[in-house]
Amino acid sequence: MAEFQWPWEYTFPPFFTLQTHDETRQQQLKVWSDLFLKYLKHTNQFLLGINDQNLPLFCNESIKRRLSSELILLILEHLQSTGHAAPLDKRRQEWQVYWYTLEEYGNMVYDWIQETGQTNSICTLYEIALGESTTQLDFHGVDEAVLLKALRLLEEKGKCELIEMDGSHGVKFF
Amino acid sequence: MRRRVGLGAIQQQKLAAEKYKDKGADLQESQLEQMTKQMEVFRNKLEEFAMKHKEDIRKNSQFRKQFQEMCAAIGVDPLATGKGFWSVLGMGDFYYELSVQVVEVCLAANHKTGGLMELDELRRRLIAARGQSAVHQEITKEDILMAAKKLSIFGNGFVIHKLGKGKYMVQSIPGELSMEETNILSAASNTELGSVTQTQLMKDLGWTDYRAKQALDKVLGEGLCWIDKQSDEPSYWFPSLFPGRNAQLTAT
Repeated sequence: MAEFQWPWEYTFPPFFTLQTHDETRQQQLKVWSDLFLKYLKHTNQFLLGINDQNLPLFCNESIKRRLSSELILLILEHLQSTGHAAPLDKRRQEWQVYWYTLEEYGNMVYDWIQETGQTNSICTLYEIALGESTTQLDFHGVDEAVLLKALRLLEEKGKCELIEMDGSHGVKFF
Repeated sequence: MRRRVGLGAIQQQKLAAEKYKDKGADLQESQLEQMTKQMEVFRNKLEEFAMKHKEDIRKNSQFRKQFQEMCAAIGVDPLATGKGFWSVLGMGDFYYELSVQVVEVCLAANHKTGGLMELDELRRRLIAARGQSAVHQEITKEDILMAAKKLSIFGNGFVIHKLGKGKYMVQSIPGELSMEETNILSAASNTELGSVTQTQLMKDLGWTDYRAKQALDKVLGEGLCWIDKQSDEPSYWFPSLFPGRNAQLTAT
């Protein structure tokens, strides 16, 4: 895999300290949020633990700067506000992070189903996320738990129905 | 020789002096006339020259610079040209166009730079924004300074600060930088990474701790710099002076 391209801010020491000036802080959180998403996408991850202190995302050894847990939480909450993350536990230590919002995922899958004429047939979640026919698509490789959430959202809109089969899920699109 | 005496002689001397004076005035007048004529000729020649090389002046940065220097040397401002023969040059237009682009580039980067940009960076961005053809690529720092000067009539929203050592900072947010702030910028621009601390200001500028702290808080409060609290002493960083930023700019 190609090496991850860190943005210049990653080498900018104050980037790791929460900024006091309003606008600067907004800008900082925005850049961090983008960086979180890009990094997780690059490493193919959907989960982040705040206590995972040695993750390169959380610290830059070359300039001896690291993110405090408070700042990580702030960034994740910022991601949550844009629909890109959700906490998995009450203490907000473990987080699920979506490269695309659930809505975007749902629409992408639905468009693909429409284009390939698979409405009214049943697919497994595995097929959608890791099947051979989706390798070129943006939602390929999506975490099944994330996909499930996206599909539930589609279900609420009446665009599909989820079916449980032997503990795994299938889905039928309308 | 017999010395001339008497009233007549005195009168004659007086007459001669008067004649000399008249002749002198005559001479002066004709000299002035000649000078005026020469200036007229020169003006015409300069106009001819400008007309003839209009395209070169617009397109060739080297040529433009020399032309500017020539004009400056004889005390002509080719830009003070609402009307008159200089307008045929379209020189004003060139700079007006450039200054609009300067504003565009600065405003587009404001959210990242906090409203401060180094002249070199501005030039790189301008060149990138102006398109590929060679004509557009050739702009010198002098051109930009000239263009930016025209923007000063819009008040203090757009100012150029000289930081010494040929370094310029372009400020594109409203508000005036006080002397203190300019001093801090200067101090930061002399460091490798573009950052300062309170101690450093006290040492470099001979400020008291209170004054240094106040000034730094002000710069921070205006969103011009970022604070880093993970070193021994809080340090203040100017994104516009941080070299890492430009490294990536040129790489992409």
